[in-house]
Amino acid sequence: MASSTIAAPAASRRRSWLPRWLTAESALPWLMPVIALLLAFGVYPLLYAVWLSLQERSRITRQFEFVGLKQWGIALTDPRTWDSFQVTLTYTLVCLAVQVVLGMAIALLLDTERRGYGLLRSLMILPLVVPPAVTGLMFLLMEDAQFGVLSYYLKQLGIIDPANPLLANNNTALIGVMLADIWQWTPFMVLIFLAGLRALPKEPYEAAAIDGASAFQAFRLITLPLLSRVIAVAVLLRSIDLFRVYDYIYVMTSGGPGTQTETLSFYAGRLFTLANFPYAATLALIVLISLNVLAAVFIKLFKVRF
Amino acid sequence: MSFREHDRKTFIADTCGEYAARRISKREFIRKLGIAGVGLSGFGAAMLGGGRPFRGLDFGNPAFAQSGPDEAMMQWLSEVGKPFAGTTIRYTSEATPPTIVANQLAKEEFTKATGINVEIEIVPLEQVLQKATLDIQGQVGTYDLYYLDQSWMATFSQDMEDPREYYDAHPDIAMPNFDWDDFSKPLLDGISMFDGKLVSIPFDIPIFILMYRRDLYEKHGLKVPADLNEYMANVKAIQEAEKGNGIYGTTGQLRSGHYSLECDWTAWLWGNGGSIYNNEGMFTGGDEQGIKGLEYLMEISKNCPPGALTWTWDGEGQSVAQGLAGQVITWGEYFPSFDGANSKVVGLMEAAPPPKAISLRTPEQCGFNEIPNVGHQGGSGLGLSRYSQNQEAAFIFMQWACSKDVVGRGSVLGGGASPVRLSAFTDPRTLAAAKVGPGTTRHFPAVEETINTMMGSEPDFPAWAELSNNTIPVELGKFLTGQFKTPQECMDAIKPVADEMAAPFRKA
Repeated sequence: MASSTIAAPAASRRRSWLPRWLTAESALPWLMPVIALLLAFGVYPLLYAVWLSLQERSRITRQFEFVGLKQWGIALTDPRTWDSFQVTLTYTLVCLAVQVVLGMAIALLLDTERRGYGLLRSLMILPLVVPPAVTGLMFLLMEDAQFGVLSYYLKQLGIIDPANPLLANNNTALIGVMLADIWQWTPFMVLIFLAGLRALPKEPYEAAAIDGASAFQAFRLITLPLLSRVIAVAVLLRSIDLFRVYDYIYVMTSGGPGTQTETLSFYAGRLFTLANFPYAATLALIVLISLNVLAAVFIKLFKVRF
Repeated sequence: MSFREHDRKTFIADTCGEYAARRISKREFIRKLGIAGVGLSGFGAAMLGGGRPFRGLDFGNPAFAQSGPDEAMMQWLSEVGKPFAGTTIRYTSEATPPTIVANQLAKEEFTKATGINVEIEIVPLEQVLQKATLDIQGQVGTYDLYYLDQSWMATFSQDMEDPREYYDAHPDIAMPNFDWDDFSKPLLDGISMFDGKLVSIPFDIPIFILMYRRDLYEKHGLKVPADLNEYMANVKAIQEAEKGNGIYGTTGQLRSGHYSLECDWTAWLWGNGGSIYNNEGMFTGGDEQGIKGLEYLMEISKNCPPGALTWTWDGEGQSVAQGLAGQVITWGEYFPSFDGANSKVVGLMEAAPPPKAISLRTPEQCGFNEIPNVGHQGGSGLGLSRYSQNQEAAFIFMQWACSKDVVGRGSVLGGGASPVRLSAFTDPRTLAAAKVGPGTTRHFPAVEETINTMMGSEPDFPAWAELSNNTIPVELGKFLTGQFKTPQECMDAIKPVADEMAAPFRKA
């Protein structure tokens, strides 16, 4: 007690040379750097994209001219926008479903204390550290009709026709791209589900065992309900990522054949590289709005709490 | 590209040279490349085809290694560069052979002599376009020089200095004996001119030539095709006879949505008497000759390895080097790789000018300076930015990079740089390298003849880059994979977009 009464004036003496706004109790000064970063790298680019989407770049003068909502009108009536939206949704839903089911199955298998399983759990991280563009290149090589090992075995098994390469066939090109995504991101689901499984209490399982519940019943009636929030967060995070897919498409198919694998993000990216900035910004904003709406619906529907 | 990255690439090139010369073991070679971080990504990048068609550079090849700098040039550089020592000039480019050569020699020779630092940012072609567009939009002069594809000359014309006028206006920094007449006229017209203005200096000239397997031609009694009808007959003959051996009639760069597909299409369109635009500036890909051209493309695709539908230029070149195709009309830049390491057709390939067109439209019948012919060119030039803060230093570099000496030495580099100067074709170093082996120039006579007599050039107008990289290859990709029932449907899908984009640039 005595030491604190002596220390207090000393502390205030030490602080006295600091500006008053910095020593005040308000949190604002300490939040300023973060707010500045957010404004510079979050709000400003967003507002700039909105501004761009209201412009048109003259092909002759190369200047931006204000055209109101013209780009939005074009985008919403462009069949290619809707096609790419449909491809994006298909890609997101299929990959998500496979990754959740496979991820849960592998997580259940790895949720054990047996020897060697720790190593297997560590190995699951490996695909995650490979850059997506490199993963795309790996699968591009593996699925190559002439040189690819995956194509070779799929042909041997009679699953694909040698004359119809996986990535050049209208019906299979998107599946070919999905394979890369599923290989790379299923381990992410596994790790999240594993963390959830390991945090579950043992008591409900002991009680269920005494009541004679089977393993499947325990999984359905105990594990799934207890893991629901973990699953919801994992699904939300992956959905956002899947909806924005770009790298695999760029590397593996350039959006083809035709527009069979062209996602919204890829379509926007293609137009950015061709310097059609206003239309590309409009498409990018459509991606953003779609994601926000879908995420909000999902959060509401599944009562996700962070 | 940073100098650190440059050093890494130099290290890789030197290591490859040492291994090729058997001065280091395979184990040591792999270890060194491991240090430099070369692995799967490097191999895969070849399949991706982000850059132009060439198969790696062999700085270790004897012809290049023995080609030292010209003494007079070094003397001039050290005198003219003094006032600009310490200046840094920047340009962005894709990884084409001339850029790699310039990048390699800039530090060793140019910077050493002048004190001018050069930073070359190497990115895929579409990013070069994006960066250049952003730079001129703000007119900030981030880049002093621009690497300009031939199809962008109209777009950037007003942002570039006319290098010939600049040369005349700045005698104090003009390179003696630069010799503008050493660039062939078809090249200047096809690559660098727009509306009477010289927008850039020709820097690179990938061009379509015929490359065929001599052994297969002899085996099946085929002769070098004189026109595209004979070419198709040869393609079918080899396909029929050799498919059982895993060899296809031809190959292609037919990936949907990629510019490479558009390049293939134009050669067949022009070769069948069609054109992209008529002299009124309207799209004519869907007229009678245009449809014949598209049918020709479809027939070609049926005689390619199935993978060709997913390949861009690199996959196409790789397929020939792996012995999968009997012949191909495509970028001559591939040729040296066929005689190089890891090729299965060393000494078996021959080069010739492309077969003649079945019928041909004249440039006067076409619009936007389009020049129809089978020898599709994908050249590029080096442009001097009007907004550069270091214009004089950049111009010195530009002259050096496009000089007889550097062009001549770049021509004997194993990556397949095609010479943009006439003198390079008769340079003793070039002639000495015209034999089977890495860095061969055996194909140069075919390239020279094609440039002078059969060169085809795409239209020049500012929206062309967008059209040729998006709408056309996307719709062609749909056609090749059966999403259109007839060729006419495909061309009808392109026409409204092509006409709308060209509208602002039609002459009244």
